[in-house]
Amino acid sequence: MTPPPDDADDASRDSVESDGSTADGHRDVVVPMRLYKTITVFSTLIAVVGVVVGFVLLDAATIRLSLLRRLVVGLFRAVGVVPPSTLLSGALAVAGLASIAFGAGVYVLGTRFRARGMGNPQEDADESSNDG
Amino acid sequence: MSLEKKDEMDHKGWMKRKDLTPVETTFLTALIWMDKRIRLVDYLELLENLYYKVNLQMPKSHTEQYDLDNKFWYWYPLYALGSFSTLAYVVAAVSGALLGFYYAPAQTGDPSTAYNSITFIMTDLQFGFMLRSIHRWSAQVMVAAVFLHMLRVYFTGAYKEPRELNWLLGIVLISLTMVFGYTGYLLPWDQLAFWAGQIGVEMSLSIPLAGEWIAQLLFGGFTLSQATLQRMYILHVFLLPFVVTALIAIHIGIVWVQGIAEPH
Repeated sequence: MTPPPDDADDASRDSVESDGSTADGHRDVVVPMRLYKTITVFSTLIAVVGVVVGFVLLDAATIRLSLLRRLVVGLFRAVGVVPPSTLLSGALAVAGLASIAFGAGVYVLGTRFRARGMGNPQEDADESSNDG
Repeated sequence: MSLEKKDEMDHKGWMKRKDLTPVETTFLTALIWMDKRIRLVDYLELLENLYYKVNLQMPKSHTEQYDLDNKFWYWYPLYALGSFSTLAYVVAAVSGALLGFYYAPAQTGDPSTAYNSITFIMTDLQFGFMLRSIHRWSAQVMVAAVFLHMLRVYFTGAYKEPRELNWLLGIVLISLTMVFGYTGYLLPWDQLAFWAGQIGVEMSLSIPLAGEWIAQLLFGGFTLSQATLQRMYILHVFLLPFVVTALIAIHIGIVWVQGIAEPH
């Protein structure tokens, strides 16, 4: 049984005791408050933009009327290339799914950081669970 | 007060001391790089600070003063219904203005121009289905929220002296909200709209003495025609928006002046 992470630890000090994996294998890194705000604000923003852009790309892959699709086709036409419709749909769909996956990944990565004193309530509980 | 940052956190030194994986180091470096250039967090902190300072200036509410929060907290979400219906109204106004670019209230042709323009919005216009759905849903949310807002005001006794005037104004507003809903319901000029219009005409005609006059005024005749659709359209997009917006402004203005009625 490993001891619970020390939440009173000053994150700016050299600290290894509250880093690393917790008992359930979930990685947990304690960061200073200001950095925690940066992580929360920007990872959420990137995740939202990633997912929205992903859906716009999926629209472009599946809807012929899509503004983005017409723009892409127009750009290709301007340089004298006519891309096959199925190839274009495939590429846009893959890009869309990749964008959604990227946004989700950034969000998930952001969740492993926390500021001091922001532990999981279950981990912070005085008594440790012995599974009943 | 200076806008210059007092002390900048030594991120690089801190990260070296931490035992981070390469992915985490890249992630943090990228976010810190963005944070240095787009000072979003600083602005959010300004807002947070402002929020607390404004709150400190507020007088204690009735519940704070007598420490009643433990008894009344479950009412508090219901105090948001007025704002919620205002929000729904704004969403309906914006989406309705955008729909107005594509809708035509003419009854000519078979099916009618009005019905055809709805079909165009729903099937050919990009984001048209979404736009019309947003308009419909915000309208229905507004009716529901306004009704629940009225129940909250009634059951917390917020209509009592000195707020009788605003209660009466609220009654007028909920009625006008329903007129908004009814006139909008007729605009697609499909079967549902047509027979709802028929019911409207017959209900008007059933009123003693003034019935025929009211049917003429509201529906432009005793049977549904182009005049009916034209009247519903003008009521929906011209008359009601001005009247209801003005009344909502007065309604909220009175709340502003009188303050929120505390539960007693």
